[in-house]
Amino acid sequence: MNDDQLTTVHDDQLAAAVKGSLTGVHMNTPLQAIVSRGRMVRARRRIPGLAAALAVLAAAAVAVGVLLPASHQASMRLAAWTVARQDDGTIKVTIRQLRDPAGLQHTLRADGVPASVTFFRTENPACRNIPKPSLRLTEKVIHVREYGRSEVVMLVHPRALPGGAGVGIAVGYARLGGKKGLAFSAGLVQASPRCTGG
Amino acid sequence: MGVGTQRLDFAEFYRRSRDECLRTVLVSVGDQDAAQDLVAEAFARAWASWRTISTHPAPAAWVVRTALNANISWWRRRRREVAVPDPATVADMPTIDGVPCGLIDSQIMTAVLRLPARQRQVIALRLVMDLDTGRTAEVLGIAPGTVGAHLARATATLRGELMPAQQKETSP
Repeated sequence: MNDDQLTTVHDDQLAAAVKGSLTGVHMNTPLQAIVSRGRMVRARRRIPGLAAALAVLAAAAVAVGVLLPASHQASMRLAAWTVARQDDGTIKVTIRQLRDPAGLQHTLRADGVPASVTFFRTENPACRNIPKPSLRLTEKVIHVREYGRSEVVMLVHPRALPGGAGVGIAVGYARLGGKKGLAFSAGLVQASPRCTGG
Repeated sequence: MGVGTQRLDFAEFYRRSRDECLRTVLVSVGDQDAAQDLVAEAFARAWASWRTISTHPAPAAWVVRTALNANISWWRRRRREVAVPDPATVADMPTIDGVPCGLIDSQIMTAVLRLPARQRQVIALRLVMDLDTGRTAEVLGIAPGTVGAHLARATATLRGELMPAQQKETSP
């Protein structure tokens, strides 16, 4: 056996050893969590179109907002956002226009979901992550279920919220692949007067 | 391609390649929580562009490259914090740069994690993911010759650290 062959044998052994050392490592993120995040990524890519549409409709939106304020009633069309409680207790949040985050935050709180909602900013600096966050728990509490070209729908499961926790929702501009777009963020935060309100 | 078919294809791809991608990124970044997070984000991006990625000659390599290049956004930072393990469950386990040793061979991983970052990446792609030199060069954005040089240095180092011990174990 020459040196090259010996090296090859050793490299094969080395490869097997390195590979074998990792056999206990497994990806434990559920497919649904990947898909849920993928939907957010895809929605985020489509948002520049939404932002342009919103700009065009901005003047009309003010008048529409007066006539059709943001509310609990999903049947109210063209509201900036709606919050609707489903039969199973899930809270469905539909965001169409980035207006009145304080109103959305107040409405969610009235529905039993302490929330911090910020538009056009990345996050409320007064908010803190919950002490022992977990990705799985976050995905149980809030995720994007569906989206269209002109709206984002988030489902919040209040019963999955740990005690003292709230939901952080932030929608803001971001630089995405060299283009300006909007980034949607959601996570669990510690409920507090400064973060989620009284 | 219909949505149903697209989802089935992606689900199968995820099932087949997720562990391999995670192990490759883990060897590259040396931190299991970070690796889980980066690979999850990369697979999510693959899902979002699945129509394109599914035709890529090596979609798993695309996932690894995306994971290694992932930008740290506010959302990602929060997700990063999400991955912090419960201290009570790992308090008694020795760790290597945050990697619980119960999941891996500590001697080998200790040696691998001592390598310079680029050598670790080459080892991960060539030995863990079985990519050829050309594809490894493409993923890392370096010349094939550079891949060869890094691989030679890395394997020489690892052979020096690991093989004598293994040969002793197998000698009569």
